Amino acid sequence: MQAYIQGRNVNLTFRPPNRGPVRALQGFDIDVREGEFLSIVGPSGCGKSTFLNVLLGLIKPDSGDLTLGGKPIAGPGTDRAMVFQEFGLLPWRTVQSNVELGLELKGMPAGDRRTISQRLIEMVGLRGFESHYPHELSGGMKQRVGLARALATDPDVLLMDEPFAALDAQTRDLMQVELLRIWQEAKKTVLFVTHQIEEAIYLSDRVMVMTKRPGQAKKLFPIDLPRPRDYEMRVTPEFNELKFAIWQSLKDEITA
Amino acid sequence: MTDTRALPGMVPSTADAPTVVGLWKRSEPMLLGTGTIALVLLLWELVPHLVTLSAGTKLFFATPSQIAVALWKMFYTGSIWHPLGVSAAGFGIGLVLAIVVGLPLGVLLGRSRTMNAMFDPFITAFNATPRLVFLPLLLLWFGLGMWSKVVIVFIGALFPILINTYEGVRNSDKLLINVVRSFGAKEWDIARLVVVPNSMPYIVAGLRLAIGRAVLGVVVAEFFGSEAGLGVIMVRAASSYQVDVVFAGLIIFATLSLAMTGLVKMLENRLGRWRPQLSNEN
Repeated sequence: MQAYIQGRNVNLTFRPPNRGPVRALQGFDIDVREGEFLSIVGPSGCGKSTFLNVLLGLIKPDSGDLTLGGKPIAGPGTDRAMVFQEFGLLPWRTVQSNVELGLELKGMPAGDRRTISQRLIEMVGLRGFESHYPHELSGGMKQRVGLARALATDPDVLLMDEPFAALDAQTRDLMQVELLRIWQEAKKTVLFVTHQIEEAIYLSDRVMVMTKRPGQAKKLFPIDLPRPRDYEMRVTPEFNELKFAIWQSLKDEITA
Repeated sequence: MTDTRALPGMVPSTADAPTVVGLWKRSEPMLLGTGTIALVLLLWELVPHLVTLSAGTKLFFATPSQIAVALWKMFYTGSIWHPLGVSAAGFGIGLVLAIVVGLPLGVLLGRSRTMNAMFDPFITAFNATPRLVFLPLLLLWFGLGMWSKVVIVFIGALFPILINTYEGVRNSDKLLINVVRSFGAKEWDIARLVVVPNSMPYIVAGLRLAIGRAVLGVVVAEFFGSEAGLGVIMVRAASSYQVDVVFAGLIIFATLSLAMTGLVKMLENRLGRWRPQLSNEN
């Protein structure tokens, strides 16, 4: 039985001019279930962000099979959307116009776009900021726009590349809660790349640990904590055991 | 500050000093600027009254009032409109052509490695050559009419726009390009949604340079080989020692250039509304 998102033996080597080749992914395997929240943790530069870009369709792997819903990834598509670490908002567009970017590229008429963007701006708690420009927003607000923009095209899969890394600790905690709420509401499959083990456990159904470069899947940790999750869960023994186990697995890759 | 002390008649009381000082500080540069211009004009006007100019020198001299009269006559009789129109048309058509060609070409060269490799040597060589050396050839090909002027303006204005657009495109934000690509943007959408807005500061700077080059093109073409235009009037007036008319033409050129610079500035402000205001009042 084929998984919803299935990667088999995915290989990718970057060949930058004037420098030696960099093997980013080697024999990378992954299975993601439909509707699942899966986090990927791994050492810096292990290729986890690269994999998201491959899945998004921006980078073509050298070899291997990568399918979504049984169909191979051939390029960007409206069934996937990314939330970027550095937000990636177009600075010359207002909040509303940024949220509508994907819809505009789909050729949706302005009236319909507006209906959708209004609903999503409301959902991420930015009502009243529709005509603000990105530079007028805080980091947390910018990433809410990034999230609303990704949700606007109603993708099946949400790819999140360290989306909260640029935020301060409190804002990050708040955004995690928001994200879980939205995920439960919108029923998306989420692939979430992060450096923070705690964040990965708190959010996910499963956490994948990757090896150092060239990146491979090292181990999968099922997170059997009940949902809905709350902040207090982070101080429970179960949570900390998981945290320790994942840390153990990750440590070898960082120190070795 | 010590400069408040240097002003005669300034109130020593610190209580109401800020408003007076503030008012002066705000208007000081403007007042000093206008004052200096007025003073220079006054001295210039007084020259014939203060010193006796020889008959020979008088031939090359015109006072501001004479120039003003010459200007007034040009506009009152309407004799200026046709040459001004001819000059403006040469300028306008050449500049618009330069934008229409330079902007898309700059985007294309900035985005395509192949196109860049093909055209770069050509552009570098062309840009390094002083544009005016093409004039004799252009006069030969296009004659003394409008089109040699249009072409020289076009050549002059094209490169600042082309090169600045290219630089802007090369410096486009890779992340933003990936963002729109991830939403299925094709090359045209990437240019429209990211590359061109991202390059706008470069393009506007190029436009400002291009306007200067275009005015220069008009002047040179009309000085050296045209049948009509503001430059032609100036050359003809100079050859018959009508210094006031020469000055009048100069003033019209200067005013139009200033107005154009102002327009570009307005365009820049309008396009830059999304940018954070660095010089904030509070």
